[in-house]
Amino acid sequence: MKLNNKRNFCIIAHIDHGKSTLADRLIEMSGTVSKRDMQSQILDSMDLEREKGITIKLAPTRLIYEYNGQEYELNLIDTPGHVDFTYEVSRSLAACEGALLLVDASQGVEAQTLANTFLALDNNLEIIPIINKIDLPSARIDEAKKEIEEVIGLDAENCPCISAKEGVNIEAVFKAIIEQIPAPSGDENGKLKCLIFDSHYDNFKGAICLIRVFDGKVKKGDRILMMQTQKVFEVTEVGIFVPTTKECDILKAGDVGYIAGSIKTISDVKVGDTITNADNPISEPLPGYKEVQPVVFCGVFPVDGAKYGELKDALDKLKLNDASLQFSPENSSALGYGFRCGFLGLLHLEIITERLEREFNLDIITTAPSVSYNVYKTNGDCLEISNPSNLPPAVEIARIEEPVVKANIFTPPNYVGSIMELCQDKRGVYKNMIYLDKHRVELNYRLPLGEIIYDFFDSLKSRTHGYASFDYEFDGFETSDLVRVDILLNGEKCDALSMIVHKDKAYSRGRELAERLKKIIPRQLFEVPIQACIGNKIIARETISAMRKDVLAKCYGGDITRKRKLLEKQKEGKKRMRKIGSVEIPSEAFMSILKLGDDEK
Amino acid sequence: MKSSERMADIDVFEFPTDKNSISIYIHIPFCERKCSYCAFVSFCLDKSEREKYINSLLEEIENFSTTKNVKTIYLGGGTPSLLSKYEIFAIFSKLREKFDIVENAEITIEVNPNSVDEEKLRAYKEVGINRISVGVQSLSNKTLKSIGRLHTKEEAIEKLKRIKKYFDNISADLILGLSGEKSVVKYAKKLIKLKVKHISSYMLEVHENTKLYYEVRDKKYRLLDEKGVTKSYDKLVKFLKKRGFVQYEVSNFALAGYESKHNLNYWNYGEYVGFGVSSHSFLRGRRIANADTLQGYYKRERKEEKITKKMEIEERIMLGLRCYLGVDISILKNLGYDIQKSESYRKFLKEGEIVEYGEKFYLLPKYFKFADYYILNLLP
Repeated sequence: MKLNNKRNFCIIAHIDHGKSTLADRLIEMSGTVSKRDMQSQILDSMDLEREKGITIKLAPTRLIYEYNGQEYELNLIDTPGHVDFTYEVSRSLAACEGALLLVDASQGVEAQTLANTFLALDNNLEIIPIINKIDLPSARIDEAKKEIEEVIGLDAENCPCISAKEGVNIEAVFKAIIEQIPAPSGDENGKLKCLIFDSHYDNFKGAICLIRVFDGKVKKGDRILMMQTQKVFEVTEVGIFVPTTKECDILKAGDVGYIAGSIKTISDVKVGDTITNADNPISEPLPGYKEVQPVVFCGVFPVDGAKYGELKDALDKLKLNDASLQFSPENSSALGYGFRCGFLGLLHLEIITERLEREFNLDIITTAPSVSYNVYKTNGDCLEISNPSNLPPAVEIARIEEPVVKANIFTPPNYVGSIMELCQDKRGVYKNMIYLDKHRVELNYRLPLGEIIYDFFDSLKSRTHGYASFDYEFDGFETSDLVRVDILLNGEKCDALSMIVHKDKAYSRGRELAERLKKIIPRQLFEVPIQACIGNKIIARETISAMRKDVLAKCYGGDITRKRKLLEKQKEGKKRMRKIGSVEIPSEAFMSILKLGDDEK
Repeated sequence: MKSSERMADIDVFEFPTDKNSISIYIHIPFCERKCSYCAFVSFCLDKSEREKYINSLLEEIENFSTTKNVKTIYLGGGTPSLLSKYEIFAIFSKLREKFDIVENAEITIEVNPNSVDEEKLRAYKEVGINRISVGVQSLSNKTLKSIGRLHTKEEAIEKLKRIKKYFDNISADLILGLSGEKSVVKYAKKLIKLKVKHISSYMLEVHENTKLYYEVRDKKYRLLDEKGVTKSYDKLVKFLKKRGFVQYEVSNFALAGYESKHNLNYWNYGEYVGFGVSSHSFLRGRRIANADTLQGYYKRERKEEKITKKMEIEERIMLGLRCYLGVDISILKNLGYDIQKSESYRKFLKEGEIVEYGEKFYLLPKYFKFADYYILNLLP
């Protein structure tokens, strides 16, 4: 097919604004997948994605559409719509010439949409606004258009107004894609230049590179060079997505497809890397490559200590598909052997831990998430600490730096006061406030990341009844007055419950955590004091009173089975318990640091 | 400290395992009225329904065969004392026809004070019943009324006096944890005076879908709190000990020689067969449960479960630890569990909470009220 008849595009949308539904309609109407095989939201391939209604992994697909008597090849690259995956989004955007900006007619522009739209503008994409959900009674089409014009500065006057769910006006979307998005430019006779915008692992083919070809062509048997990793592979297969993989002979400039090359580890395939021909390479890679760094860390331990090996295998397998997941062995006196894992963000953390439980059938305990601190010691050393229990003694610390972010919050004006209060409480520094229109205010704050991963999302959601949206980007490190709060159970320190907090908050957090643990930890045969302390100084104390009895009174009659089953059930529960000295604590307790403050809501 | 020195604290009891004998349980699901706390299978049946049940029961007994002799028989309920003397005769003639019942077999019937009378007592005596278990529950009229019992304190005392004329081996039930009953010692005192030799005292459990469950949920009935129940239990244990009663199980107390052999057989891993709706059997390593609806029972619906080694380990620990029979270490070893290597076991032993004696280990009775904790920690 001629370059002129190709279009490469993606969809930018806030969660729930209907991205996957629109993708489904486009696939359906182009006849790419027969109605019979159509499963709702076909691009969200993982169960988890379908369940959460979000797209995590990119799943490209090629649509063939006839317009004005000509056949067009439209490559849809679906994008993850979450702040954790900003870098991946930026790389998929870089693979396209245009983007559909999908806005919910009843919700208007959200923080995440704005962030991704700016990413698209940075990549020089043609942006087509589309108003979705016009079938809703609460739809306010004109205001949504006005917001697009005022907030983003795009002309929305003649943009398609559709209902992806009801299939209304989808033709207008095809029309806009074909008429407004430029055809890819590129020289298929030039040197090979491809962008890796995603990767996944196939048990038979090895790591698969999802690519956009900018110049040149690539086919089976070619030797390719990964420009960042400097690794060379022989291509064993090239193909396209329909949306399942389909082998083809050749990929040329302007194409979106995949390359397989017996690549054994996914870390050789870096998203954002440039592929060229090893025997005839280009000199400069494509711009924009970044090494992805995890920002949120937590300990992951098997409930059953004997399953350490299984947990390691599972993490290895997940890492095959997810180069951004990092982990290293960790040993906790409370939880035994496990791993300290690094994630791109809280959603990423949640996805990985859920997949460990669901796909690998593992019972795991996760500790409260932490960020990575720069700890400068008095002897001049600098340590990166992502596990609170590794923090050196206070006397050895000269200063600690914590990561901070630039946060953008979009909210209806009536919640501004409440949000400012929240940001204040989270040690935020006010930067700016813009009244976008009468429905919407943009607030800018500088916030410590550690506060965001703590309970910022939940608090924001509950304070604004879900009407505010939130996005952030890194803004370096800042020196802060931080201390470690430890928890003693019956006099013994529980390393997995230690947390690094700002000095001003240490007392209240310590007290809240002690209170919370009192509720979670079941009574033991003896009295259990719970103490929170900084160094040797006790800052809070609670006591769990001793159990008075623990016996099923009646065990006569011949029904032994019932009692045994009860016991077996209790035994299962006990497996989820961890022992700190002689105190048994349930695994949920380790996440309880995160739930602080919940009770007041 | 050597175990032998510790043995002063504990009554060790050997209950010989007799592979050639079996126990029989018979369930009589009749009630005049269901008590508020009761979660057992029982029904208020009319005459023809009762007849149908008895016929089905006799047929079930008829169809069971064993070469083993019978050492204990237990008629439980429901309310077995609602059986007429003719029904009693019918059941026992069937039992004697089918089974080789040993001469000194323990044969128990549960009775309610309001439904037992002199005529029935004479019938019990006639068929060989030699142990009466009386559902006294409380000796406060207010309490009895509040839980839906049909008898009064006076009636209970009067009936116990009558029973005493015919029977020596009398047991009485007392419930712990009823509203306002901070101590049942005065009831126990009275029972002992009435020559009761065995007391079963269960801490009240509120089961879902009982009348009491809804009363508690809707705050119409206030249970004694955990502290109160435990205290009343402790007081009773202390008092009965003083009066020479052995706490041979968590909730069971008896003068020497008056322990319930029927219950000991359950806890000693002996075989038994249950007849009647919702009754349970343990035969040839299988636990069998009869249907718990009459409809299912008449169709002879049963659930059967083969006891694996793992289950047997669990059951032996669970049953042996809550009573003075203890748990046989070598049997556990043969089943593949070397409990002496268990960290918890060694800790409990060191702390003197369990003791070893001969081939067995025992939980000290003062820890009976935490039995589930120990059991749970000692499971493999």
